[in-house]
Amino acid sequence: MTGGDPKAPALARRLLEAALPRGSRTEAMLGDLEEEFAARVRTGGRRARAWYWREAFLLASRYTFTRWSDPRDGRALDPRPGGGGGMLETVWADVRYSARRLVRSPLFTGVAVLSLALGIGANTAIFSLVNAIVLRDAPYAEPDALVDVYFQTPGFTHGVLSHPDFRDLIDASAGVFSGLAGSQLTLVQADAEAGVRLLTAEAVSGDYFGVLGIRPLVGRLLGPQDDVAPGAHPVVALSHGFWERRFGSDPGIVGGELRLGGRPYTIVGVTPRDYHGMIRGLEPEVYVPLMMYEALLPGSNTLTERRNHSLFAKGRLMPSAGIVQAQGLLDRATNDFRARYPEAWTESDALVAVPTTDVIMNPMVDRVLLPAAGMIMVVVGLVLLIACANLASFLLARAADRRREIAVRIALGAARGRIVGQLLTEAVMLALVGGAAGIGLAAWSLRLLLTADLPLPLPITIDASLDGTVLSFSLGVSVAAGLLFGLAPSVQATRPDVSGTLRDEAAASGRGRGARLRDALVVGQVAVSVVLLVAAGLFLRSLDASRRVELGFGGPPAGIVELVLPAERYPGPEAMAFLDRLEERIAGLPGVRSVGATSNLHLNPTSTTTSEFVIEGVAPPAGQDFHSVDFARIDGGYPASAGLRIVEGRGFTAADGPDSEPVVIVNEAFVSRFFPDGDVLGRSIRQTDEGEVTSVGVMATARIRQIGEDPRPFVYGNLRQSRPTFVALVASTTVDAERTALAMFDEARSLDPEVMAYSTGTMERHLAVMLLPRRLGAVVVSAFAGLALILATIGLYGIVSHAVSRRVREVGIRLSLGADAGDVTWMLTRSGIRLVVVGGALGLTVSAVVARLIGRLLFGVPPLDLVTFLGVPALFAVVATVASWVPASRATRVDPVAALRSE
Amino acid sequence: MGRDGYLGDLEQMLLLAALRLGDDAYGTRIMEELRSAVGRRVSRGSVYVTLDRMEEKGWIESSMSGPRPERGGRPRRVVRVTAEGVAELRKSREALLTLWDGLEDSLETP
Repeated sequence: MTGGDPKAPALARRLLEAALPRGSRTEAMLGDLEEEFAARVRTGGRRARAWYWREAFLLASRYTFTRWSDPRDGRALDPRPGGGGGMLETVWADVRYSARRLVRSPLFTGVAVLSLALGIGANTAIFSLVNAIVLRDAPYAEPDALVDVYFQTPGFTHGVLSHPDFRDLIDASAGVFSGLAGSQLTLVQADAEAGVRLLTAEAVSGDYFGVLGIRPLVGRLLGPQDDVAPGAHPVVALSHGFWERRFGSDPGIVGGELRLGGRPYTIVGVTPRDYHGMIRGLEPEVYVPLMMYEALLPGSNTLTERRNHSLFAKGRLMPSAGIVQAQGLLDRATNDFRARYPEAWTESDALVAVPTTDVIMNPMVDRVLLPAAGMIMVVVGLVLLIACANLASFLLARAADRRREIAVRIALGAARGRIVGQLLTEAVMLALVGGAAGIGLAAWSLRLLLTADLPLPLPITIDASLDGTVLSFSLGVSVAAGLLFGLAPSVQATRPDVSGTLRDEAAASGRGRGARLRDALVVGQVAVSVVLLVAAGLFLRSLDASRRVELGFGGPPAGIVELVLPAERYPGPEAMAFLDRLEERIAGLPGVRSVGATSNLHLNPTSTTTSEFVIEGVAPPAGQDFHSVDFARIDGGYPASAGLRIVEGRGFTAADGPDSEPVVIVNEAFVSRFFPDGDVLGRSIRQTDEGEVTSVGVMATARIRQIGEDPRPFVYGNLRQSRPTFVALVASTTVDAERTALAMFDEARSLDPEVMAYSTGTMERHLAVMLLPRRLGAVVVSAFAGLALILATIGLYGIVSHAVSRRVREVGIRLSLGADAGDVTWMLTRSGIRLVVVGGALGLTVSAVVARLIGRLLFGVPPLDLVTFLGVPALFAVVATVASWVPASRATRVDPVAALRSE
Repeated sequence: MGRDGYLGDLEQMLLLAALRLGDDAYGTRIMEELRSAVGRRVSRGSVYVTLDRMEEKGWIESSMSGPRPERGGRPRRVVRVTAEGVAELRKSREALLTLWDGLEDSLETP
């Protein structure tokens, strides 16, 4: 434990929460444990954690048993002689017997448990993510009466609303909606212990908490009185997580103060633990009134501009209304808005209603999210299948070893059902122990994943805790795996062929029906692993290909600082003067080679900006009288510091000022699209909201929006001929870029102590954001494919060593008759390799089909990539040979005499 | 639990501890009190289950305090012995005293 408050073991707490009835009494019990843990932790964290686990276990079992028996009988745990008995006693006897048998063969048990732990762990981890993102319901009151309202425009079926439209809709909603909740996420600057930090804030309308039915945990939440006039309500409600982290869960914080955007806000209350905001996956740290939006983000016109769409909305239906009435109301509003606001509403824009319970994040996102979640569940399901095949294979091997014993028991009159039951108990116990280990593994790997410092464009928070749903899932999977994959071996072992087995010495060679079943299992395992490995290979190859793409941007290592220059603070030319002084200082920092600024970086996943141009001789797209072209403003130093290359003409210079002729630089893609004759320097272009601009230079085409895009036309405007509000400063450096970025921020601070910085970072990290989905995909699929390979290897190793152990006598005879040890090893190895060849061929055939299916997700690699399709079998050949050869060679090292005496 | 309407021994101890603690009578403190006053260690589960049962019988009432930071933002369940609870205590005490009557001398510590 280093620093901070030592926490009680979260997994123990969750298991306990799942075991106890929900309610305030349970909360109080957990509070008691927490309080005593805090007292104990001072004398040693490890012992306190062990104590917590013990208490949680005892308490959970006490409550579980009390619930099963008469709740009024205080002695529910007392043994009651004569009561119960029968079936429970039988089960208990089976459990004890199985436990003894499992402990007696630790190697078998260990390998089986490890297999299952890997399989069930992978499933638990992925399922808990799916549960957190897709399955878990938001704690809205009566969610069936909630309706999502979306703004539909061509190309965007379920978009967000503008603030003015939202307010108009509230006025028009009588008779259908009892209220409407609107909110939008934003980053706000908050004072921290040292300097400032950004908080994610959800700006919410007055009825937000009332409509959603969220009750405060402490104090009050925001209400209609907090959303009356712009800038007039400096109040804030805290999310549970933020309250815990920043204020140590202090209920006395109500009435306290939090400085946001340089202004004090009064803390009014805390949201409940299970509420994570209206936009799934993006949990805010604080909730502020919508009317404070412009005060927190100076320079935005969000509240008043009808063309600025940014608001998520949900309505609560009146008891008399349904989704049909809701859509009817929205249709009337659509017609009304089109007539009243023609500048903002075209004939193809509309409002649409979708029941909230039908939506996970957003209908458009869901269309991608659900298949992705499904695909990854299939992948981990396959991993589990391989693990279960190991279980079945091992149990079959054990059953074959025990056929004599079982036959004797049946001959002596044991019921077949009892023996099957006992064997099944063993399988289920193995699965449960494996499942428990798997849950631990999942908790550990999730913590690793969720605390990893991923270059995310937005602070995504996922509460992937192992709650009751996840634990029941893992328990169910474990029991099902034990029953399903234990059944065949159990039935196999007890086939009523008693006299045959007792007589038949050949049973010792173990090539019966059970052995064939095991062979089939190994073939299946190999085939599935090959498919997963091919998929992983293809994803890794596309990641590699996208890393190699020449971006034409961001080559030199550089520090980046993003600043906001609000108009109130820097009216008119002050903004540019501030930037000039800052750049001058940054240029003087050690290691800095060049510095420049832009209004928007290339390859920015959260924002792309365009501008409208009229170009003589090139007709605009149908229905428009201009060309919409990607656009950003830069200054003279930017191309050098951001690794852009001017190929013709000149860059911006100090001579291009606010009073001189407006100039732009265009890229090569722009030239070939709009000036095919190549003659562009000195040509005048009309930018609809700027007037005539003259092109003075041509930039080499860089990637603008995506790594894999076709060359996009781009226009670079002159930052000095505008009043910039948002700027990203980029300084290429010969020293550590991270340190340079922090030094840049310090310089900005020393010029203006209250400067608003959105982020400090490096070019490397900025570009890593674009690679993240591909990187995550490749890493996750590779991890599971690697897991599948390990599991299949365990299976193969197990089957070969078992076959070898059954043939010790035969090997002994061969060796004593003078057979060459190498030949014998090869004979034994061959059996394993034969299975791999069959499974591999099957797997490659299926892979060819799968590769075509995932072809759309690949980048720079054909689906039937030769490297992958040759590499995977080569890898498998090596692994399979080793896994078969190791046990085989061991057999030939035994002393022939000892081998002959065995059995 | 009182087979014939008398309090069980854990019940008595819990009620007495709650009375001694007054406003501070919640799970952790009650268990501490039993440990420090009479050296009795009881399992956490028995304490909660017994408190639940006594509340059902109306011998105690409980109220939840506000969330507290030292308890991970969780409330305390503070119990208060009701008039019925006190009556039960008295009944048990009198029964015991009656039975003890006259035995004090002969059971004097040797």
